[in-house]
Amino acid sequence: MTETFDIAVVGAGITGCAIARQLARYDLTICVVEAANDVALGASKANGGLVHAGYDPAPGTVKAQVNARGCELYGTWAQELGFLFCRTGSMVLGFNDEDRAHLEKLRQNGVANGVPELSIIGPERIRELEPRASAEATCALWCPSTGFVDPFEVAIAALENAVANGVTFIRSAPVEAIEVAGGEATDGAARFTLVTPVGDVRCRYLINAAGNGAADISHMAGAEEFQMVWRQGNIVVLDKEPRALMPLYPVPTPVSKGVIVTGTVHGNTVITATAAVREPGDTQTYASDVNALLTGARKLVPDLDTRRVVRAFAGGRPVIQGTNDFFIGQSAVVPGLFQAAGIQSPGVASAPAIAERMEHVMREAGVALRERADWDPIRHAPDDFDRTPLARKEELIESDPAWGQIVCRCETVPEAEIVAAIRRRPGAVSVEGVKRRCRAGMGRCQSGFCQSRVVAILARELGCDPSEVLLEDAGSWLVEGPLKGVR
Amino acid sequence: MATFDMRNKRAEAGTIASVATQAFDVVVIGGGPAGMAAALAAHKAGARVAIVEREQHLGGILRQCIHPGFGLSHFKQELTGPEYAQRFIDQVHATDIALFLGSMVLGIDSGEPAEDTEVHTVTLMSPAGMLQLTGRAVVLAMGCRERTRSEIKIPGSRPAGVFTAGLAQRYINIENLKPGSRAVILGSGDIGLIMARRCTLEGISVEGVYELMPYANGLRRNVKNCLDDFGIPLHLSTTVTRVIGHDRVEAVEVSQVDEHLAPIPGTERIVPCDTLLLSVGLIPENELSVAAGVELDPRTRGAVVDQSLQTGVPGIFACGNVLHVHDLADNVTCESERAGAAAAAYALGTGAGAVPDCELTVSPAGIAGYALPGRITAAALTKLNFRVRRPVDAARVRILAGDEELLAGKVRAFMPSVMESFPLPAKVIKQALDLGASEIVLSVDPVEEA
Repeated sequence: MTETFDIAVVGAGITGCAIARQLARYDLTICVVEAANDVALGASKANGGLVHAGYDPAPGTVKAQVNARGCELYGTWAQELGFLFCRTGSMVLGFNDEDRAHLEKLRQNGVANGVPELSIIGPERIRELEPRASAEATCALWCPSTGFVDPFEVAIAALENAVANGVTFIRSAPVEAIEVAGGEATDGAARFTLVTPVGDVRCRYLINAAGNGAADISHMAGAEEFQMVWRQGNIVVLDKEPRALMPLYPVPTPVSKGVIVTGTVHGNTVITATAAVREPGDTQTYASDVNALLTGARKLVPDLDTRRVVRAFAGGRPVIQGTNDFFIGQSAVVPGLFQAAGIQSPGVASAPAIAERMEHVMREAGVALRERADWDPIRHAPDDFDRTPLARKEELIESDPAWGQIVCRCETVPEAEIVAAIRRRPGAVSVEGVKRRCRAGMGRCQSGFCQSRVVAILARELGCDPSEVLLEDAGSWLVEGPLKGVR
Repeated sequence: MATFDMRNKRAEAGTIASVATQAFDVVVIGGGPAGMAAALAAHKAGARVAIVEREQHLGGILRQCIHPGFGLSHFKQELTGPEYAQRFIDQVHATDIALFLGSMVLGIDSGEPAEDTEVHTVTLMSPAGMLQLTGRAVVLAMGCRERTRSEIKIPGSRPAGVFTAGLAQRYINIENLKPGSRAVILGSGDIGLIMARRCTLEGISVEGVYELMPYANGLRRNVKNCLDDFGIPLHLSTTVTRVIGHDRVEAVEVSQVDEHLAPIPGTERIVPCDTLLLSVGLIPENELSVAAGVELDPRTRGAVVDQSLQTGVPGIFACGNVLHVHDLADNVTCESERAGAAAAAYALGTGAGAVPDCELTVSPAGIAGYALPGRITAAALTKLNFRVRRPVDAARVRILAGDEELLAGKVRAFMPSVMESFPLPAKVIKQALDLGASEIVLSVDPVEEA
């Protein structure tokens, strides 16, 4: 099977999905080609969800240009795409005079990067903004524009909107080779052929948004040779609090922002993230990292109950060695190939601006971008039973009794919400895919009570046997099959 | 710039005019062994009772506990979990106790005291819609959940094949599904031991049971019947230090631990397997209780209760595994009957009087991990429950008020796996009050062996 598109985006992480959504407004045929079987399974999944404001990157870097802009765009994106976004503001806590000097440097950095409303504040204001912040903090950089999201919800929402506007999502399609034909990029012929196990994909323009795979894609196309480093980070999620914490940062280290404590859109607390260069592909958690997170978090929020760990996970930041910066632009070697490489932190915060910048770069390169009359920027979020008011809950149950059948007790997720997660486009095809879309299994029992029920619903909806239901991607089977007797 | 601030979002559970309401004397939340025993006792005392149960069936977790060992003390005969549960299900069906099955409680609202009696409103949902039940008394009987891999922070990758023992038990006993072929079990709690035998009987090879502590955490009879009789090795002072496998578990790394329970470098060993079962503790499920304003004891993670099992919120009682983790269903039944009777007495106003006689707190000391009830408000015979934190061959229970020893038990052995019970006579409570004490201490102190 060979399909031909104007544009193929490789990678359905938050970057690729945001780019696909940005370009879906134009009269182009677009596909998103993803190696895994679902959206946001790489760096976008293993992420703290912070929408950093942009005071951190060195002025003049690409990061500096897209971070503050991305943070600004999140308000509009959240409204149009119907994902949860809390713009709470954040504080970088300082504990001594040396820290205060760092904070002042950060503030100047932020001003240079266009971050609005930065100020250095004292202990009283710190306590007023976040009463749980350490009483030992003597000063802080107060940044009102910081926020947080569920990174996979953003990616899913962006791709759902893109798909609703005609974008094709091709999953389980790792690119094994790329053939590049000669000629001009703008002559209308499909120059690129992506060879995947599910068939060839041909396209006129290729966008590389492959995250940790971006160097491989660039290499396969004969373009830039990016030297990548797998800067691994462990992250811990704690159980819900009555009130979500404001993001609290320590003074940053030379390689990372340090151990940050933040609330999440669902009221949990996230401690993110360690930074250690490890073997590419290593997503293991390490006892030393987890301990460092818990210790670091208690320094910022002394009353944090670090026994209430709901989940620990890890992922790799795709770091370009040397520059440590994003590479967003047309390949200097292979015209028609557009790269979004090295999208490490602050990739989530920057995603809408990376998409905007990519659109600009393509337009400059002569790609014809003609607006479609029927483009719909709005994605209607699925009903979230737990958050919905009582009156709406009643309506939902009346419309379908499956809304009244709770499957996941920790997160109050009824069967109908799980079915919707599977039936939406692109829908969930795994237990974890269901979890990322409607939070079934994301709570404190970590699916101990609901996993077997979610497996049964997936088997029914996908028309397969429970033994074929996957936790995540290929090979992650949950049950072997029936134990005994006739089925 | 659009801003969404959901930081103060709270689940709403207030009374809603449009939702239908039914009134009861006692509303029991949970239809497992605790809920059924409490409901039956409340009904026997003359109360109008409702049971709210999440599942379509009564019985709770007993439905999947198909092994024997239940009923030895309550019925003087050995039953399986489902048989034990059925006895109570039959009794419930023989009464007019109202059953709300397939119903999930969203919140308990104790509201403002109305007229002379405070009424609690329980908001629930089911496929039939939303409903509110009012009860003069509420009994919390939601049971517990299993501790997860994340809570004990096992490092490594996150493949399929890591199950809590109870989830694996559900796959095997309820769904007839085989969760794997080659299992390692971490934790020698009763569920882990039972599952080691269950897996073996179902053709799943059990590579071994690993236990962090230097002793088995389950009942002695389970170690013998489930491991020894099947030749399954029990590795003490050893724990899983890494999960290996990208998509499905391929192996686990186990390490011996030192006296501080820290893994000893150099003792790592790779055990190939496709399944890791965790039996690493149970946690009372009190999210609903906390939202209702019930104070918890950090030691038990269950409610702080008085001798009638009433929580700090008047009219809300707690019993069974939601109060503290039991090792025997029979004890759950016994405790829950007390809670049900007390709830009915409260609801019907037939109790010894709403005004407390006294106010004493009960605290654990020595090697006692907790003491329950945490409050005593009447000078009457009170059964104190506790567990020790480590096994001892010779120790005694001492009841103290200030520096005075009021009572001492016999010297004997104690095991953390056994929930102990110690009767506190009314006269000892009076003694403490006469001394002007505000606290009674239950201390378990090891004694030098002769």
